[in-house]
Formats: sequence, structure tokens, C-alpha cells
Amino acid sequence: MDAFLNAALAIFDPQTFVYMGAGVVAGLLGGAIPGVTITMTVILVLPFTFGMTPLQGLATMIGVYVGGESGGLISATLLGIPGTPSAIATTFEGFPMARKGEAGRAVWLGIWASLLGGLLAGIPLVVGALQLAALAVKFGPWEYFSLFVLTLTIVASLSEQSLLKGLLSGVFGLLVTAIGADPLMGVARFTFGTDFLLSGFPFLPVLIGIFAFSQLMKDVEDMGSGTAGPLLRRHVNLRVSHLRVIGEILRQPWNLVRSTLIGLWIGILPAVGGSAANIMAYDQAKKFSKQPEKFGTGMSEGIIASESSNNANIGGSLITMMAFGIPGDAVTAVMLGALIIHGIQPGPLFVTTHTPVAYGMFAAYFLAHLLTVVVEWVLLRYFLRVMLVPQPILIPIILVLCALGSFALNNIIENVWTFFFFGIIGYLMVKFGFPLAPIILGVVLGDQLEVNYVRAVMTDADPWLFLTRPISGALLVLSVVSVAFALWQRRRRPAAPAEAEAEM
Amino acid sequence: MKRAFSCALAIVLLGSLASLGLAAYPERPVKMIVPWAAGGDTDAIKRVWAEIAKKYLPQPIIIANITGASGTKGAKEAKGAPPDGYTIYSTHDYIHTTYYTGVSDVSYRDFEPICLTTSTPSILAASPNSPWKSMKDLLEDSKKRPGEIKVGATLGSTSHFFPAMIEREAKVKWKYVSYEGTAPRMTALMGGHIELGETNLTQLDKVKAGQMKLLAIATDKRHPEVPDLPTLKELGINVTYAVNRGFVAPKGTPEEALAKMEEVCAKVAKDPAFADAMRKQGTDVSFLGRKAYRDFLEKNDTLNAELASALGYTRKK
Repeated sequence: MDAFLNAALAIFDPQTFVYMGAGVVAGLLGGAIPGVTITMTVILVLPFTFGMTPLQGLATMIGVYVGGESGGLISATLLGIPGTPSAIATTFEGFPMARKGEAGRAVWLGIWASLLGGLLAGIPLVVGALQLAALAVKFGPWEYFSLFVLTLTIVASLSEQSLLKGLLSGVFGLLVTAIGADPLMGVARFTFGTDFLLSGFPFLPVLIGIFAFSQLMKDVEDMGSGTAGPLLRRHVNLRVSHLRVIGEILRQPWNLVRSTLIGLWIGILPAVGGSAANIMAYDQAKKFSKQPEKFGTGMSEGIIASESSNNANIGGSLITMMAFGIPGDAVTAVMLGALIIHGIQPGPLFVTTHTPVAYGMFAAYFLAHLLTVVVEWVLLRYFLRVMLVPQPILIPIILVLCALGSFALNNIIENVWTFFFFGIIGYLMVKFGFPLAPIILGVVLGDQLEVNYVRAVMTDADPWLFLTRPISGALLVLSVVSVAFALWQRRRRPAAPAEAEAEM
Repeated sequence: MKRAFSCALAIVLLGSLASLGLAAYPERPVKMIVPWAAGGDTDAIKRVWAEIAKKYLPQPIIIANITGASGTKGAKEAKGAPPDGYTIYSTHDYIHTTYYTGVSDVSYRDFEPICLTTSTPSILAASPNSPWKSMKDLLEDSKKRPGEIKVGATLGSTSHFFPAMIEREAKVKWKYVSYEGTAPRMTALMGGHIELGETNLTQLDKVKAGQMKLLAIATDKRHPEVPDLPTLKELGINVTYAVNRGFVAPKGTPEEALAKMEEVCAKVAKDPAFADAMRKQGTDVSFLGRKAYRDFLEKNDTLNAELASALGYTRKK
């Protein structure tokens, strides 16, 4: 405890504090701009940390990470475009709520849920990092495969209107990941002999193509038909009673804890990022909700689930990173690189050999969450100004940012074409009433499903292992339950959900 | 504000005029293509390199992580880059392995060698729950159950070739499971999902914490960082292996640029700050100039071609 307090004091050193604050602001901006991911922001910040002490550098990056996860919710809520992949589910409820004139409530529900989820997940980070990470290592390819199967079953409950269209969308997503060099041996598949297709379609340009482009096109259409003015001209009701919003979250303790646990666990497992966590938490919130039929119209439960899970996911990734020196996602990979540049070897002995730095990072994690709320309190009104920019000006700017972000992902122009191509696909899908979430789920999980399946069979040819290994078997049973439950929920639902859709 | 801007403009203009007059390479920042993600081994090593190179080069080196398809996307991009000296490509032995396993069409012959910077010696590691205490135990067990002991590897890359060389020399047979990248391989090793895997000195902490066992190192002589770890050679297995990282430039890059970069390489290699940083990376600084590096690549290429065909890969042409 003493060590922790000392570390907290080290963080309150004015210089460190300023760096961290700058990190949070950078993260918020990066997270809020569609197409710019948290990973990119962290990489941009990385060179600035070379001149700092190790703790200052890491605290700054943690600031970016935490700020970024919160920034993603701002564009998700106000523009209907997820600023980061981990805010996908936030768009499902946050955007409708904002459109109904409750932008302030929607944004602040997200901000406070982020804070609470993040702080809750900080407890196991400090107390049980090593044990949890040891548990995660026990997850073999069978368990991963079954976990992803369970995640895929979410398609059944995310398909609002037609289950068939949802399934088609999901399968299409999976197929997209089959294009290009196969993840194991690099054998070309569906490439028609072109170099362009050989490298496959990277996730980020596909995501922003599908979500951002289709949303922007819809805005352009609305503009043309004169049905909608600037995004929020008439309803900039940002004034909210914070007590009421926090109360609203605390009245759903199970939702908060459940979503936090989902985010935490997905974060701890290496190789699965926040993009899956928020959709899973959202799905569970819907399954446990008393009014699942109202999901998609601006339900607070959905926002809380998505946002608490994605901040908890940071705590989880940090657990794996600090316990084993293994990156849980791309952001922690960069942070590990920074540790090495500062001459600190990350690994299982990190916390014991570099206790001040490690505890300083814990303290920074908590502080970054608080700082994020403060910074958002100050900056939110300016963010909203952006939303007041007339659409003919705003839409092209966002499009350009998306294209830039696609390029910056790995610095090649092909990604920009991928972005436009999937933008058109996303737009057509919206036009023909196909849900967008399942295709994203397919793209997120396709490679991982395949890789883990092949690993499992390469390790042991016995296919029954998927069922006989206890965790794997349990996850598969849960998958069946999940589908059955979603179908039952559908049937029970009164047949008038189309109305809500039309409103959007 | 306006004045500050015009001042800045004037400075920039003057600066560019001055550089026109001198026109010595490099006049603008040099782009370094790293074909893997930020945070990986190569990225970490080359970021430190670029930072120290600032002392010896009037222009900064900007790292571009061009990732994807086992590093072959970056290779392709480097091959197609303009050969003006403003693009250098950070590569390692994978350039040979991916070529001979048919993963990529880019060969080392598509580039001008600049220098070898570092070598990271390979170590054979075992899962903590494995029964073996030494390499000898492992080999005896391997003979008892051929084709059963599971090795995790990035198929077709260095972590696959290294154990395969041991397999061939020690006349044993193992089973390969695909785990692409060091991090997933280490996780699987710690969890006992695989029993063997290639690792390097950066992972020593895991050994101290009892999460991994080291069996042998593939250096010529015992390594000062791990004096108790036997070399494969002294165990009678004639295998030395390391991941050798260096720089190359697109074919046709001007002589002047190549010479300048080679000079910077030589200076960084002698810089104690670099050696210090590399020790923490489990990496040895090993410099080879243009000519020696060309010979090195050539020899390495022949060796990898042989290995690939011994492993059953045939390159379609």
C-alpha cells in the first residue's frame, strides 16, 4: 500500500501531471476523429516520450489510451460513427438517443460509464494481475475457437429486422477475411492473381468504410431531401443533471459489473481487442434487459454496457502486459516497445523488479480516468461546436479524415481503396435493409476463428476435444443457449419494431 | 501570428535555398520501412537505431511501419519505392525464408545491401510443464515418440527454420503448430499448449519466473548473458542460428546515398549507447559494411534455399 501511495505521489509531480493531461487530450482527439485509432495516436505520441522518464512516458501513453477510449464515444454518439472500433456498439443506442434530442444525456452516460467501468477494472489490475493472467494463459486454441463461436452467435440478436439478412451479413464478413494470403502459410485465396487482394482487407478501413461512409451517405441523402438540418441544430441539449445520469448508471449495477467483467476478460486474453468486447457486452445487456425490443432506439443500458466494457478492456490489456510482458492489443504492444526503449525489460518480473514504475502505472491508470472526465467537462462544448458545423462542410472533412486514417494504418494507398469499396458496400447494405453489425463481427472474428481452429487440429487431430475440454465445451453449450435465447426473445417481441428503425 | 508565419516561411525558404547550394545527401528526412508493427522486436531495435543515428545524420530518419502478410507487404513496398536514397528497408532473415517458402516474390536480390546492424541469437525453449531438464532428455524423448512433440512456429519463417535445422542435425521428428509471432508463441509455451519454441534473450525474465525453460542456445560459444546455457554445438548438434537484422535500399539507389548510410551504420555500431540498448534487447551488435553484408546475404540465401527444400517447400516458378 505504501508503494502505491508513493507511486501516486510520483504521478502528482506537476510535470508528469501536465504530460498526462496532454496525453489525455491527444487521446480524446484521436479517439473522437473517425479513422484515427488509439493505436495511431499512441504511435504519434511515442517519440515525445523518449525524452521523458520511463514513468512519465508510460503515464502519458496510458493517458492517450484511456482518453482515446472515451473519445470514441463522442463521435459514436453525436455523428453515429464509431471514433474507434471499441465504440461500435455505442452507436447503436447513443446515436438514436442524441437524435431524439438527448445528446447531453447520451454523451455523459457514456463518459460516466467509462469512468466507472474503468475504475472497477482497475481493482483486479492492482490486486490480481498475476493470477488472472495465469488463468488467461490456460486458454488454448480450443477455448479461443469456442469463445469466438459464442461471440458469433451474437449475430442472432443483432439482426434487427430479418434474421436471414443478419446471417448473410455475418457470413459475408467471414468471407471477407478469407480473401488474401491465408494466415498460416500465406497461400493466396480468392485473389484472382492480383497483388492488391493478396494482402487481404485490413479491419480498420473495412470498419470505417462500412460505418462511416454509409452514415455520411445517409446524411447526404437527408440533406438533399431537406428532412434534416445540421446534425444537432435544434437539439443541442447538452445540459444534463450529472447526478441523474450517474444515478441512472448505478441503478443498473448488474449491467455495469457484467459489462466490466466482459471487457476485462476480453482485454486479458491476448489477441482479442476492444472491438469484440463492446459488442459482446452490448449483446448481454440486451439479453438481460427487461425491454430488449427497445434496443436500437436509444436505450441507456446499451450505452452503459458498451462504454464500461471498453474501458475495462484497457485494464485487462494492462494486466496481461504487466504480468507477462505480452501485449493484449496493438496499443499495449507500442507501450511495451516504449518500455524497452527506456531500457526496461517487460516480463513476469517487471512488477517486482521495477516496482516504482509498475505502481506508478497503476496510479496513472486511475488518474487518467479522472483526468479524462475533467478534460471532457471542459472540452465537450467545443466538440459540440464541431457538430454544429453545417453538413456540407463537415461531411467532406470527415470523409477526408477517414481516408487519411485508412492510409496511415500501414502507410499504403490500397487501404484507401478498401475504405471506399467497403463504404459503397455498407451504403448498399443499409439501402437494402441489411444490418451492419454482423458483417463487422464476421470481419473481426474470421481470421481468429480460422487460426485457432487450425492450431487446435494441428496440435491434436481429435475434434472431440472442442467438446471434452471443460471450458471449451461450456462455451459451445453457451453458444447454443445464446442462439436459442435470442430466437425466443425475437418470437416474444411484438411485431412492430420497424417503426423505430424508420425513425432513424 | 501573421508575422510569425512569414518569418517561418522565410526561414524555410532560406533553408531550402541553402540546401540547393550544397545539395549533399540527405537533404530531407529518410524513410525507414519496418515491415512489422510498432512494438515488435525489429521495431524496438530500429527505433533505438534511428534515435542514435540522429547524431550522425543531418536529417532525421522517419519510421514507417508497413505491416501485413508476415512482413511481405513492407518488402513489396520497399522494392517499389523510388531508388533515390530516401527509402531504406529494415530487413532480416525472413527475406530468404519467405521467398523460398513461396510466401513472397521479393528476394534480397531486389535490393542494394547497406549494412548488417545486429544479430539476435536463437534459443530453444521448452514449456515449464515439460518433463525435460536438458537437451539430452528432449532428444531421447523425441526418439521415443517421433512426430509427437509440439513445436510452435511462424510457419515458413525463422522460428520454423531454426527448430527444423535442429531436427535435421539431431535426426529427430517433431510436430509443428502455427503460432505467428513471438508473443503468441511465448503465451502458448507458458500455457503448455506447445512444448517447444524458438525464443531469444529478451525473454529471460520468464525463465527466472519459472514460466519457461531454456534448453540450448544457437551461438558459436556460450553467451555471456547466460553462461550456464549450453550451445547446440557443444551438445554435438551443429547448428548456429540468429536473426540478423540489417538495412537494404531499393535497387538503383545512388552510390553516394549508400555510402553515407553505410558510414552512419558504422558509427552507430560503435556508439556505446547503442550497445547498451541492444544488451537489454538480448541482441548483439554486429556490423558488416556493404560488401561484407552482400556476401553474408548471399551465403544466407543459399543456406535457406537448401533448408526450404529439405523442409519440403518447393518454390513455384
